Amino acid sequence: MKKPSWTLWLVTTLLMLTIAGPAAAKDLQIGALYPRSGSLALLGEESWRGAEIARLEANKKGGVGGDQVVFVNADGHDVAAARAEAERLIEQSKVGLILGSYASSRSMAATEVAARKNAVYFELGAIANSITERGYQTVYRTCATAFNFSKSQSKFIAEWLAPQLNKKPSEVKVSIAHEDSDYGTSVADSFKNAAKEFGIQVVSVEPYAANTSDLSPVIFRLKKAAPDIVIAVSYAQDAILLSRQAAELKLGIPLFGTGGGHSLKSFQEALGDKVEGVLNVDFTQYEVSSAFTPGLKEFVALYRETFKEDPKSGHSLANYMGTKALFDILAKTKGSVEADAFRKAALAMDVPEGATSTGWGVKFGENGQNQRANPFIMQWRNGKLMTVWPKAAALMDPVLPK
Amino acid sequence: MELIIQVLVSGLLIGGVYALISVGLNLIFGVVRIINFAHGEVLMLAMYAAFWLNKLFGMDPYVSALLVLPALFLFGVLLQRVIVQPIQEASANMQIFATVALSLILQNLALIFWKGDFRTVQTSYAMSTLEVMNIIISVPRLIAFLVALASILLLYGFLKHTFLGKALRAIVEDNTVARLMGIKVDRLYLLAFGLGAAFTALGGILLIPFSSVYPMVGGPFTLIAFIVVVLGGLGSMSGTFLGGLFIGVVESFGGTYVSPALKEAIYFGIFILVLLVRPQGLFGKGKGTEEIGLK
Repeated sequence: MKKPSWTLWLVTTLLMLTIAGPAAAKDLQIGALYPRSGSLALLGEESWRGAEIARLEANKKGGVGGDQVVFVNADGHDVAAARAEAERLIEQSKVGLILGSYASSRSMAATEVAARKNAVYFELGAIANSITERGYQTVYRTCATAFNFSKSQSKFIAEWLAPQLNKKPSEVKVSIAHEDSDYGTSVADSFKNAAKEFGIQVVSVEPYAANTSDLSPVIFRLKKAAPDIVIAVSYAQDAILLSRQAAELKLGIPLFGTGGGHSLKSFQEALGDKVEGVLNVDFTQYEVSSAFTPGLKEFVALYRETFKEDPKSGHSLANYMGTKALFDILAKTKGSVEADAFRKAALAMDVPEGATSTGWGVKFGENGQNQRANPFIMQWRNGKLMTVWPKAAALMDPVLPK
Repeated sequence: MELIIQVLVSGLLIGGVYALISVGLNLIFGVVRIINFAHGEVLMLAMYAAFWLNKLFGMDPYVSALLVLPALFLFGVLLQRVIVQPIQEASANMQIFATVALSLILQNLALIFWKGDFRTVQTSYAMSTLEVMNIIISVPRLIAFLVALASILLLYGFLKHTFLGKALRAIVEDNTVARLMGIKVDRLYLLAFGLGAAFTALGGILLIPFSSVYPMVGGPFTLIAFIVVVLGGLGSMSGTFLGGLFIGVVESFGGTYVSPALKEAIYFGIFILVLLVRPQGLFGKGKGTEEIGLK
């Protein structure tokens, strides 16, 4: 193959911009399905950027199995669109492989379409447990599930918090405060299950509506329940409101976020110094041990070079890591996405933890779920979300939040 | 005991803001007799205005009221003139379609221009509190309550003692007779809609120090305002005020002693009860003001 000239680059870029343009014969076409308009556009776009960087990087190095990778982009701005776009990608654009999709509701719909048509679906960012629990043979997921989030939290409480409080894990009392839509409810259920595994007692569960402007009833109930720590499952505005009212009404019990609103820069800005010590579990963020996350620094440099700004969240990183894992599988199958060959190569993959840019390993289970995606515990320290646990990934030790 | 008082205080404080927003709706609903589903979007626009004035010019949200209130007064007048007036005599269904559409349009414009992000104003007093006999009172919530109370009293005085106010009340009671008496009803509709929007905007200004703004922020407030207006009675400002406080307190007690997830269910239950038992509202003016009930 000739060295790619600038015109070839121009042509590939143009192809990328058209939604379903005809591609050169030797290109490997992959559908990229993300919500890129509408209310989820911000982080949907951020997620897409991670996959895009992996693609540009692979193409620069000569492609995957010798083929240049081209994304056929699709916008799953709502559930119906995600379903229709998955259908279109497979039927009209003839891609045998789709990656995506950030939002769990979109992913549930799109993976169902892919599985029915025997196309491979590679999920890189949606965390709902059920995505890989439906027995679909062609659906894979590289990122952590909601249950993994809860497991990391429970493990942290049992192994770190309990000794700090001079208690056995079974003596630690936990309350859950969660917003009452599908997201909050399923994450709360997941935590209840994980807590059981570690023998931690959940003493109260407080669901609330996220669009309220007064969460003082939740605070009063938490005061009555008097747990050692509160697991909070919140979107953006209710995470802020809950923490503000906890401070105002002198709750005095540490809050432990579950991704979502507790990771956002706006959370830190709204709370000022009251953010100090708030714990959180999430996808790998950027304040993390570089020895445990080889390739993360290079990713940030590539991101800045490509998009002329800093990454907005860890979503891009998780999608970058997952896309790279996908390319490794495709290199083995020589670009084939035929379901059986792909499955064989995917299940054979074996990367230990601490060897990818997110620090997660890669080992797919029979259900297509990556068994080695364990989210880390972070803590807001001096205005930054620092990784504090497990030790191998941590930049500093956690402190008992006030 | 302490907890009960604390819960009561929390409920009253947020209830004051509900009352203010509902007073805005009552002016529109009671005088113009239009079911305005875009009410919450006026609140949203006011909150965004306060947010951007703070972000771009460092203006304190309370000070920004001087700009935001007149602007939304004009916006209200414009809505009445351009959208409501042409369908004034149309059936209630038509009016509902128009205002629901307006609400969707405003929400989505906000989404396009300002994105789905949750925006919060940073102030030095956002989390300051007073402690009176072990009862904790949030300062911005207390300010919201007091300003709401003062402005509702002011409006009450205006309606009771000025000529314009009396004319507005006459329209609430019977707009046909009011018209026959020589009241320029259409012009007063403009005033009522403008005032209603301005009061709602004031609610937004008072909320922004402790609440986030996002394109869909108005929805729950629209619903609460309708409940409060029906509860308090069309055209009754004192009824609306008490209704607002009542919903705030019900929400607070229901949330604390039953479940935070059920507080909406509790006040919607009350809403249905009132519609069934006393459709003109607890403080309503009697016959002819049960516009929203089953006629």
